[in-house]
Formats: sequence, structure tokens, C-alpha cells
Amino acid sequence: MATVKINGKEITVEDGTLILDAARQAGFEIPTFCYQARLSRLGSCRMCIIEIGGQKKLQPSCVTPVMHGMEVFTENETVKSARASMLEFLLANHPLDCPTCDKGGECELQDFVFKSGPRRSPFSESKRRFHDKDKILSPVIIKNHNRCIHCERCVRICDEVVGRTALGSIGRGAKIMETSFMDSTLDCDHCGNCIEVCPVGSWMSLPYRYKARTWDLKEIDTVCPYCATGCQFTIGARNNEIVRVKSKITTGINKETLCARGRFGYNFIQSEKRLKKPLLKKNGKLVESSWDEAISFIKQRFGAGKKTAGIASARHTNEELFVFQKLIRDVFKTNNIDLDSRFANKWVTSSAIEVLNLAAGGISIFDALKAEVIFVIGSAISNENPITDYLIRQTAVDRRKTLILAHPRRFKLNSSANISLRYKPGTEGEVIKGITDFIEKGVFHGNVVGDISQVGEKFKNAKNITMFLGADILRLDNGTNVVAEIVALKGLLKKAGKNIIIQPLFDRCNQRGARAMGIHPLFLPGLKKVKENGMDCGEILDAAKKGEIDSLYILGEDIVSMYPDAKFAKDALSNIKFKVVQDTFLTETAKTADVVIPGASYAEKDGTFTNQEGRVQRLRKVISPVGNSKDDLDILCSIGGFAYKSAKEVFDDIKKEVLGYKDINFDALDGNGALVKGHGAENQGSRVKGQGASEIASASPRNDTSSNPYLDEYPFLLITGNHLFHSGRLSQNDDVLIKLLAEPFVEISEEDAKELGLTDKENVKVKSSEYEAVLKLRVVKGSQKGVAFMPENFDSVSVNQFYKKGQGIARVKIEKQV
Amino acid sequence: MEPILLKNINTPDSHKVDVYLKNNGYQALASALKMQPDGVIQMVKDSGLRGRGGAGFSTGLKWSFIPKDPTIPKYLCCNADEGEPGTFKDRVIIEKDPHQLIEGMIITCYAIGAKTAYIYIRGEFAFGTKRLEQAIKEAYEKGYLGKNILGSNFDCDIHIHRGFGAYICGEETALLESIEGLRGRPRIKPPFPAIAGLYAKPTVINNVETLSCISHIVNKGPKWFSSIGPEKSPGPKLFGVSGHVNKPGMYELPMGTTAREIIYNHAGGIRNGKKLKAFIPGGVSAPMLVEKDLDTPMDFDSLAAKGTMLGSGGIIVMDETACIVKVAMRTMAFFRHESCGKCTPCREGIDWTYKVLHRLEKGEGKEGDVELLEKLCGNIFGRTFCPLGDGAVMALRGALKNFRDEFVEHVKNKGCIV
Repeated sequence: MATVKINGKEITVEDGTLILDAARQAGFEIPTFCYQARLSRLGSCRMCIIEIGGQKKLQPSCVTPVMHGMEVFTENETVKSARASMLEFLLANHPLDCPTCDKGGECELQDFVFKSGPRRSPFSESKRRFHDKDKILSPVIIKNHNRCIHCERCVRICDEVVGRTALGSIGRGAKIMETSFMDSTLDCDHCGNCIEVCPVGSWMSLPYRYKARTWDLKEIDTVCPYCATGCQFTIGARNNEIVRVKSKITTGINKETLCARGRFGYNFIQSEKRLKKPLLKKNGKLVESSWDEAISFIKQRFGAGKKTAGIASARHTNEELFVFQKLIRDVFKTNNIDLDSRFANKWVTSSAIEVLNLAAGGISIFDALKAEVIFVIGSAISNENPITDYLIRQTAVDRRKTLILAHPRRFKLNSSANISLRYKPGTEGEVIKGITDFIEKGVFHGNVVGDISQVGEKFKNAKNITMFLGADILRLDNGTNVVAEIVALKGLLKKAGKNIIIQPLFDRCNQRGARAMGIHPLFLPGLKKVKENGMDCGEILDAAKKGEIDSLYILGEDIVSMYPDAKFAKDALSNIKFKVVQDTFLTETAKTADVVIPGASYAEKDGTFTNQEGRVQRLRKVISPVGNSKDDLDILCSIGGFAYKSAKEVFDDIKKEVLGYKDINFDALDGNGALVKGHGAENQGSRVKGQGASEIASASPRNDTSSNPYLDEYPFLLITGNHLFHSGRLSQNDDVLIKLLAEPFVEISEEDAKELGLTDKENVKVKSSEYEAVLKLRVVKGSQKGVAFMPENFDSVSVNQFYKKGQGIARVKIEKQV
Repeated sequence: MEPILLKNINTPDSHKVDVYLKNNGYQALASALKMQPDGVIQMVKDSGLRGRGGAGFSTGLKWSFIPKDPTIPKYLCCNADEGEPGTFKDRVIIEKDPHQLIEGMIITCYAIGAKTAYIYIRGEFAFGTKRLEQAIKEAYEKGYLGKNILGSNFDCDIHIHRGFGAYICGEETALLESIEGLRGRPRIKPPFPAIAGLYAKPTVINNVETLSCISHIVNKGPKWFSSIGPEKSPGPKLFGVSGHVNKPGMYELPMGTTAREIIYNHAGGIRNGKKLKAFIPGGVSAPMLVEKDLDTPMDFDSLAAKGTMLGSGGIIVMDETACIVKVAMRTMAFFRHESCGKCTPCREGIDWTYKVLHRLEKGEGKEGDVELLEKLCGNIFGRTFCPLGDGAVMALRGALKNFRDEFVEHVKNKGCIV
């Protein structure tokens, strides 16, 4: 500990604390530009220079650590005048075009000059000018070099946090520019974090350009609706129109960082394609109707006949999903309720729920990342959960830690990984078993590219291990085997006295919350077991195909586009007598419905999401639902005849049934949310607890076709998932995100491309037994041979058309397009 | 004084190893390898050798900061990025007597326990690079570099790294960044290179002239070395004289020789019988001196007492026809061009002072410009990230201090009166 005197005030801080932090702790504000806690130290802007007793020169407080007995002055005349002189230097060549600058009103330079800057500048020379017109560097990013103050936060965040290293400094001296390679169009993640960290209006958002003055915006903190990382952000709306999304350094686990989806994916809300009125099928055609007519039609027809079912999307709030399961269970008296969840069967999902211990309390990702070994399997995390990727990257800088990534594809985070494993999709179980065997017996078998023994050694030597389990596992029909292997490995490591945390990586924002709300054929709210098992999504469709389902309520899910075997899904749905689809867009599934009711987007409603850590966060209403659409909760309540008037009232009921939510105060949920506690359902004799892995495997029906995936005719295993710029089928309606990536593609390894004589960016024919399409090829160095990837985000080539029901992972061949 | 560092340069083929060997080359290496590394460090400490790059830090002391742990790799970097205007001493050694430098480097590596050394050479020294490459090749062939040098079990490799034209890469930490393949700009200190330098490993960075002294210290002993020149900064020194003199060139003289003797006795006095107006004692960063300062001994401490510095020992002489405002403008143009752009005061401040000086020189000066320049100097000095900004300000302050009237005249007369 070191005791220092700052402006006469004594304060004791940890050794090595920066003077800046010590001063801030003591309550003295020091202005900074280049300093940001999470970024590497630069010490270049010189705004934070302070005087240290006994030293002639002023010192930058952001890079100088305290020393015991040091006397620091941050507010005397010397420091004040130095600070003013730095601002004078920065303003000398700054264009001062504040009236037309998007940053005006929230510009750090503006603020500091107001606070401590000179009012008049003796600078009478002509200003440095790089260009007249701002440079459009990407469909979402625009740059004005004239305004730049060279704090290089953009360069560092791109390099150290996002991991893209798309930016750098060009030139030197007064001609220095922080920009892309030779100022060219960016080929990057388009995450816009450079815009967020920019203290001035140098980096700007192109979609937000000239849309509003910051002080005219209505700004509301809410949570991102895409992946389950659960980033906090702030929506800015003007005249009931959303004009931007930004993030704050003070809130959320993301702390000012977002990905392209979160930051720029708000335009679908005001899309012209949004459903604005209920639609009823009359004479085989969907025609607009009134709300009264639609609701009374549903009330009259839904649930008639023997079998009823409900399928929901994990994009909905806890409150909506809770009411939805109430509707299906209490009103229509059935447990046939499921999430889409990459369409795994209920045994896979329930075993996953158990191995992930979702019934126990949430674990903060920051606690999870404290482990010495971080192991990620089953998720192309850089694309699926970009901000979790950022957090892991920042942790992996610590040389004492080991980051192990296991996935068939190579992606961005691999450059930060210590060990990368490649395997064929469907053999995740073998990978885990290999590690277990190595630890136990010192030998292992399996077809994995990469050094499993090295992974085993790392596991052996670590005290704390965190495993991140991706949603890919849910897609496997042999998912229970994988789960069984994980249980075995976990048991082995536990026995060896290690602390194991298993964290899920989900692709939908409220997947964890949905399960807790009882959206599962085997679980009630709070993950309590049902008395009578319901049907999962696949079983519902199987039954439908046989004509055994009379009515189906689909809440926000596009089954026709996502179910692996599009043809089968369409056939099955057509056999259902009465289908209600509640969604924001007229999806392929909605087109088959008898009633389509227009729900609200995330910015138009209140509620809570529970992210993958188990953190409950508030979703807040910013604008009223577009057109004649309605809040989903209102719709569900009026159909079910529930008396809830607000999301808060539902939440109060949730607290009664889901014990983990008991202590959470809906109104008090702030930027950091609240972690759920255990639901009390952990010890109700679930199948995993206390039992051997083999029992789970045998308890669940298996359809293991992927154990022999090497068919000659269709040599590639086709996997799918979200592209970095897209999420499900929602984002294709966003005209900004679609500019970032408009067309699907097929991605294969460099090895395969060489073998087939194919080159990057050429058109290839992708063919399965079910479907064929022409797609652009992407070649990635370092991916697993024999694996093809296609994003699942486009209607134009719907990836599920390649699948054959029961196949688990599709097999395709790729040919040169002639 | 008999030339020491330059004693071979007039011998034909002085850059070749055979010629160097004929003149007792690599004997110092042989005797150093028989000593303990600490003994070599002590020897250099005793000699009182101070770094010839400009700062004048004790070389032996610098070496002794390197941790002794043999498991940590260590590096030696030779700073041959000679970019200070008015300086051309290292170039002579590199082109004419490269083995003298290489021998010094091998001994230094042995002393500090480094197995790898880099020569960071100024990109413009294309010829020098060729000579060095040839010399290193010869040294490998003769067994002075590589594995098991002279049967001593000591291994050493030297690599050449060419700069790309940035003056800032002569700053030691920027030089390290550049060798690592990064953008050449200074690092935050601490940690100092002796603890975490090249590739975050302990590193010594020495100037070409400094390293060239080593073999002579080993050969003739520290006592001999410290007997040359003043007690506190002993040894021979290369003075490069340029500007308005009759015989511009490189002169090797003992430290502490007066400026008068160098300019008038050795460099032949001011050309065309003109009067001396000012002289810069050690490269453009060093504040200029005037005629009354001619009797100052040219060593680190005496010049520091005069408010200037020995720097690189590159003396630039100006006669009465020189316009000091123009000199200041040209100097600031150099620093403006060479500022790396990292920190605010250097990037913006030097650009600003240049623009003001440019205006003055063009005859567009305004009332208050001189005061503005003085204020800008105050706002830059001591607040920049590295010494580049300070150097620029010192140069400008030197001009303002000695020739303030000339600046004021420029404003009043709307132009130069010289």
C-alpha cells in the first residue's frame, strides 16, 4: 500500500495504482483523452499531466504509478495552465465545426474546453485540412480526419478488444491520420466501437448522420435483443423514431462495446415490411382484419379438438414467455410447449439444462473468466457472441491463462487462443472424451486435429477451469452423448478437487430465461419437472404430419425457415387445422398461418431478458408499437383472459413460481442487471445429478447417424449458425445490416478448396440430396477439412432446405459452377 | 592528439578485415574473452566513458543495470540511426572502419551476456549498410562472430536492421519498436530498456562511437582512456564541423577542446574572412552559442553549464550572413517533419511554431509574434512524451535568447535585414 497526498488530501491506495486513479478515488477529476482503463497505456494526449512534489517536469498521471510519500498537485496554477495549453494545442487545428458535427453536445473536447479551456486562441494560421468531404469507410462508418485529436482509442479498441486490427496510424507529425489501411474501405467487423470510443466527431455512424442533435434525443437504457451475451445499450429516439443505438462505459458487461448487430441492427423496427395489422386467412388468402375480429377468431377456434401445442421463440421477454406457457398449460391444458432452440429434442435440451446447471444461480462472466483455463467448445463465438469474444480476448492477454478453442471453423478469437482444436461436427463427444481419457489414462483416441494431450495437461495443472458450451451442441441429434461426456469430464475434474464452471453460450437473447419460464415439454417454470411429459418441437411436427395436432400457437418463431428439413416442416404445418402466428414480420411460417397477429419489437415493449450468465436485465419501451401492432404481452393476456396490466405485474407472479427470481426488484434493475439465484429445483432427482454419464446416454433415444458421416457422394458436413452481422431471420429485414452482408455464402477450408481447385469468392454449386443452390465461396485457412458452413440468416438460400429430417448434420457436395 | 577512432580511416581498404587485423584488430576481443564479463564492465566503468549519442550517460553504469540471470535472453542494440542534422561521425566509422564497431559490439555482448546484437542503421546509409554487411560476413568467416568465438564458448550474432527514414527511431525506445516491426515511436518509461527493452528483454542501446571506444579501452586500459580530456567526461571525441568554415570535416580531438580551437585551428576559421555569428555545438537540438562562448570547453558538463549540450558533437557554424529567423524556421521545419505525431504538444506545438516562423520569415509577422513563440516554447517544453519536442524547443529558445532583436526586427521591417 502506498500513502500519497493529493492536493493536500491523504489517501492510501494499492501499490502500482496510477496517479490518475488515485486522484479520482480522492475525488479529484483529471481530464483525459487517450486514457481508457481497458486499453493499453499510451500517455500521448498529455491532458492529464500533473505536478509531483520535487519533480521539475509535469508528469502524465495516466501512466505514472504512485509512490509512497508522493505529493501530487492536480489543481494548482501550473497544472491548470498546462491543461489549458493542451486544449489550446488541440483546438489549434480542430475545425470547430460544432454546429454541423454529430458529436456536438456530447463531445469530450467541447466539454473540457467549456470546463478548463482557453476562451480565445492566438492561433491565426490556416488550419490543417485533410479533406473537404468526409470519408465513407463502410456502410456504417464515416470518418472526418480534420476533427481527429489522435487519442488512438479507435486503433487500440479495434486491436485489443475487438481483435480486428483494422485501424492504424498513417503518416506522422501533424499529418498523422488514424484510419484504415491507406484510408481504404474497411473490411472489418463494422462493430462501430471506433465510433463509440471517439471523444470527438471524427468517427461517426453513417446511418445516424445528420439525423438529430444529441440534446433532442429521448434516450433510454435497454438491452440488446440479439445474442444471449446480453449487452446493455441506450436507444436514442426522436419523434417516435429510433435514430441510434449507443452504449455507455458505465453500464452492462459490455461497457461501451457492441457488435454490428447491436449497434446498427435497429432499422428493422421501422421497416416497411413490419406487420402492422392482424391478418386472417379467408378463402386461402391472408387478408387484413381488425384486432377484435382476430382475437375473437382465435378464442373461438384455438384449442378446439384434441391436441394443442405451442412453440415460442427465445427472443421474447420472460414475462411474455411466462404468460405464453400459462396460456398453453393453464388454458389449453397441455405440456406440448417448446422453444425452437436449434430444434434439439427434449432429451438433449433437458440434459443440457442439467449439465449447464441452469437451475442453479447465475455466475457472472467475470467470475467465470478468472479461471486459469478457459475452454470453449461448440460455438463460433466470434460470430455468435461477439462481446463474449471481446471479454475473453481481453482476459486471454494474461499469459498465465490458457485459452482453448474447439470448433470445426477457424474464427477471429483463434488468434488469441493458446490451443485450437479442430474436429468434425458431431464428434464433440469424442473431443471431450479424449480429454477425459488423457487425464485418466494418459491415452486417447479420436479424430481431432490439434494437441489433446496438451489440453489434458493444462486441465490437469489448473485449479480453476471454465468451460463455455456453445449452442452447436443443441443442434446435434447425439447431443446427449456430448453432454454425457461433459458430465464425465466434470466429475473427474471435480474429484481431483478443481473448481469447474460451465457457462452456456446461447444464440438467442432470452434462451436461459425461456427455460426458466417453463418453455420446455419437461419443465414447469422454475425448472420443476412436469407430471406428464409434453412433446418437443420435433415431436409436435411429427404428430402434425400424421394429422394429430389440431391447433398450434407459434410465438415469434419461423419454423419453415429454420427447421432442419424445410419441406417436411412445411408439410407438417399444412396438416394442422388451426395455426396462430404472432410475429413482427410475415415470415415463411406466418404465410402458412390461419391468423397472423402483429407483435412488437424489442424497442416497443417492457420486460426482462435473462442472458446466458443468468443476469436478469430490463428491456424498456422506447417508442409505441408501429402501425396497429401491439405489445405481445397485451395480445397474450387478451387471448388467455389474464388480468396483467404490465410486465411488472407478470414479473411479480414469476417471482412466486421461479424461486431464483424471488429477490429481484423489477423496478430497481439497473445497468448491471441482477444475477438469478438457484431455483430450488436442483435437487429434485434430475437424471444427471448423482448418476453416471452412461445412464443419461441410455435414458435418451439416440439417432446417431453422424457417427458415420463420411459418405462418398456428399463429402462435406454442412454446419450452420449466425453470421456476425445477422441473427436468425430477423436481421435480413434490417436495411443497414443487409448492406453489410446481403447474400449467403458457403465457407470451406483452404485445404478443401485446393483439392477441389476452387478459389475464394467464386460461385460454386452446393448440392445435397434435398436441394441445390449456387453460392459464393469463402475460403478460410485453418478450418477443419470436410466441413462447410453457411449462415442461416437468409431467405434467398434457406440453409434448412439442404437438410433431410433425422440427418442431424446435412451432407453436401460442392462443385465448380460451370 | 594521435587519432584513435579515426586512426585507420586513411589506410587503403581500411574497411577490410585483413587491414584491420594488420593494425592489431580483434586483439581486444581476444583479451576481453579471457576476462570475466564483470571485469570488462568494471574496466569500462573505470574508463569514465560516457555515451556519445548525446545524453552522456555512463556506459559502464548502463551495462551494469542488466540483470545477471543467465536464463534471460539479453540484447545489444547499436544505434546507428544517425539523423541529427549536422552530425556525420558514425557514418565515417561505419564506412571506413566497420570492424572497429563490430569488435566493440562483440566485447559489449560478452560483458552484458547478450548473444544477439542488432545494428539499427539509418536507411539512407545504403553504402554504410553494404560495408557493414561485408564486414559482418568477414567477421563470421574469421570466427569472430558465430558459435564458440575464439574457443571461448561464447556465441554472438549481429544482425543489421535498416531504418526507414524516421529521425525519431534514433530515440532508443522508438528504435526498439522499429526493430520489433512496429511503428517507430517512443515507449513509456519505465520500464527502462535495461529491464524490458527489445522483445521485453533486458537490452543495452549504445551509439556507434561509444561502442567503437570499447576495443581501445580494453587494449590500452581504462587509465589511458581517462587521461584524455577532462576528468568527468574523458576520452577522444569526434567533432563534425559543418557550415561557414574553410575546412568542414571530421576532427578527432580530446573531449574538452574549446570551440575556438576546433573552429579556428582545425576547421580553418570562418570562410571568406567573415565574422562568426553563431554556432550550434552538438546537432540542431543543441541551443546555439555566440562568439563570446567560443572558449567553452566542448564536453558534457561545460556545455550544460552554458545552457546547451554536447549532443552528438556536430558543430554547425554560421557567419554574419546567416538569418537566424530562417535558421530557426528551417530547424523547426525539420522537427515538424520528424515529429511522430503521438503526443499533443509536439505534434501541434511544433507545427504551430513553424507556421509562425514561416510567416515571420516571409515578412508577414505580427505584433506579439515573438511573445507567442516564447509562450509556445513554454507550453511544449517538458510536456512532450519524448525528448524530440524538448529538443526542438531548446533549439528555438537558443535562437530567441541570443537573437531576440533579430526576430523583433523581422516583425517591424516585414522581412529580413541581414
